[in-house]
Amino acid sequence: MAAASVYTPAGFDFSNEVRNSFLTERGIPLPKATSTGTTIVGCLFKDGIVLGADTRATEGPIVADKNCEKIHYISESIRCCGAGTAADTEFTTALISSNIELHALTTGRKPRVVTAMTMLKQMLFQYQGQIGAALVLGGVDATGPHLFTIHPHGSTDKLPYVTMGSGSLAAMAVFENGWRPNMERAEALELVTAAVSAGIFNDLGSGSNVDACVITATHTEMLRNFVKPNERVQKERSYTFRRGTTKFKKEDIRSLVVSEDVIHTGEAMDTS
Amino acid sequence: MEAISVDMNRLKAGEVNLGTSIMAVQFKDGVVIGADSRTTTGSYIANRVTDKLTHIHDRIYCCRSGSAADTQAIADVVHQHLQMYTQMVGGAPSVHVAANVFQDLCYTNKDNLSAGIIVAGWDKEVGPSVYNIPLGGGLFRQPWAIGGSGSTYVYGYCDATYQEGWGREETVNFVKNTLSLAMSRDGSSGGVIRMCIITEEGVERAFVPGNELPKFWEGNEVLGAPLKTKEVSDAVPMPVDA
Amino acid sequence: MSIMQYNGGSVIAMVGKDCVAIASDLRLGSQAMGISSHFEKIFPMTDRVYVGLPGLATDVTTLHHQFRYRLNMYTIKEEREIEPETFAHLVSSTLYEKRFGPYFIEPVIAGLQKTASGDFKPYIAATDLIGCLNFAKDFVVAGTASDKLFGVAEGLWEPDLEPEDLFETIAQTLLNAVDRDAYSGWGAVVYVLTKDKVIKRELKGRMD
Repeated sequence: MAAASVYTPAGFDFSNEVRNSFLTERGIPLPKATSTGTTIVGCLFKDGIVLGADTRATEGPIVADKNCEKIHYISESIRCCGAGTAADTEFTTALISSNIELHALTTGRKPRVVTAMTMLKQMLFQYQGQIGAALVLGGVDATGPHLFTIHPHGSTDKLPYVTMGSGSLAAMAVFENGWRPNMERAEALELVTAAVSAGIFNDLGSGSNVDACVITATHTEMLRNFVKPNERVQKERSYTFRRGTTKFKKEDIRSLVVSEDVIHTGEAMDTS
Repeated sequence: MEAISVDMNRLKAGEVNLGTSIMAVQFKDGVVIGADSRTTTGSYIANRVTDKLTHIHDRIYCCRSGSAADTQAIADVVHQHLQMYTQMVGGAPSVHVAANVFQDLCYTNKDNLSAGIIVAGWDKEVGPSVYNIPLGGGLFRQPWAIGGSGSTYVYGYCDATYQEGWGREETVNFVKNTLSLAMSRDGSSGGVIRMCIITEEGVERAFVPGNELPKFWEGNEVLGAPLKTKEVSDAVPMPVDA
Repeated sequence: MSIMQYNGGSVIAMVGKDCVAIASDLRLGSQAMGISSHFEKIFPMTDRVYVGLPGLATDVTTLHHQFRYRLNMYTIKEEREIEPETFAHLVSSTLYEKRFGPYFIEPVIAGLQKTASGDFKPYIAATDLIGCLNFAKDFVVAGTASDKLFGVAEGLWEPDLEPEDLFETIAQTLLNAVDRDAYSGWGAVVYVLTKDKVIKRELKGRMD
């Protein structure tokens, strides 16, 4: 056992590093982690921000998850789409979300998008690109709507429409063609859907459904599986096996129902 | 013994790069700084309207080239540093102080950074000044400085063109023309030109859209339309030895 | 060869109607050489939470102990049994702690989650080796035969299977997938969890 203490220190633990780098030196490569090939997008419109993402997670050539969530919660009116190493996007956004909540509590103000952006870029820069998180951060705060991209090495860009991930080229083509200033909510949502769809259908790393999130000054609407263009049809036949098909050598049934017998001993107490 | 070599131009794999053409020129009332607007990741333009002219203090700006992450981080640290400095000293820092903070960061972390920065601005001690901090972390005061991958194409132009004692308009035009030439030759530079004119009065931004860049000789204007070739019926192929 | 294939082994979990099943092979190998046909990779964490740990055998043992320790600490602190979803997050953060020197394990979690009304809801999840959670509504797979398991399960699984039908489906999925994987096999074990009992069955499989 690594730690006998009840309290483990915060942060990463490098105790397996020696063993693993020994293996790497012996020519055994490190296995692949789940990555989100991904198309993630965001765009500015009249009243706020629309974020969009596909829902495919891949492990090399295998589709590991057909309907994962890539739009992460940072605060009520700040959300973040993640591409790259799936675990990194998941934990990085969770950590920043937590710190943003604490920040909001200590300052007594609603958190700003730049605050989240700065926290994210400083963390990613500190790890020098080792944390493989490519993010699209969007939200509305006291200073208006803001949209950023954050690269794994910690550089940021502020733009009115952005795309990231392996499907970013396909999605950007749609934005470059269709985006204009001061779009209506419906138009913006349609454009984001079209951009993510371009990724879903033209990029192998992206697929399944479109998730969207509309953030305005007063309200945030998470549209999970906003469009489902790749729904699986009902199977033509049922492939259940006749009971008893599989031979087994041993069976052990453990009942989880606790039963007890109450045995009366002696005479009942006189309660008269 | 193996020679010690440092690959100055390396970028971490997949890093966002400011391919870049940047420039700063001092004139009698202030400085003009300028930059292209292209940010690349490999062959993909990650941002075509980047602002590489970064605010450091009221009258001090920097032009960033190299790794986007590194230069943004450095600029943020220097910005914070000078905010503290201002509070403690009770007045605005000089450009020289700002440039020295940049230089210190760039030199002490030279093994982990790829950042070429030009610091420019106006202060009440010396008036306008331009400092160049190239890759290794040196610090050089220059009347004009150019940087980034695009700068190599226009050193000759700058040497041949620059003259002391220019006014504001001439300096702005010099920056505009130099950057336009650099952007047309360098594949990693392009987009629009962003400029800042920093004087005692304040900071004024100027912008040249991509379709209004100053044009230089590009072939057609001199050659005109391609000449019509005359039909020759009895042409004999040139004899070629086997 | 990847380190994930060094000892071999595969795990699968499936959702049924008010029940879940988790199954694994029993092989422990050293590359191509078989060492044991009784190497269990599925461990009960509570009565209604089971975890499968396919991957490098040394880490199977280490992580099992680690999880048991952290689970005990949770139980003492909270004075209640852990729910599967909470346990999945415990697994996830335990693995991500070692982001830059991971355990070579891809855990699969199966359990029955207590709902507000007191019923039990099936819950399955899987993570990659650095703890990225994958909640699926149908099935999750991991191990050296994972790509085969994906294919067979995608064809055979259907919603709302009764415990006995779920047993047949998961057993057949596992047996047929591991028969085409050189590093998995040598017998198999299936657990079916229902609200009032846990059925463990050891399957007859190919021994080559």
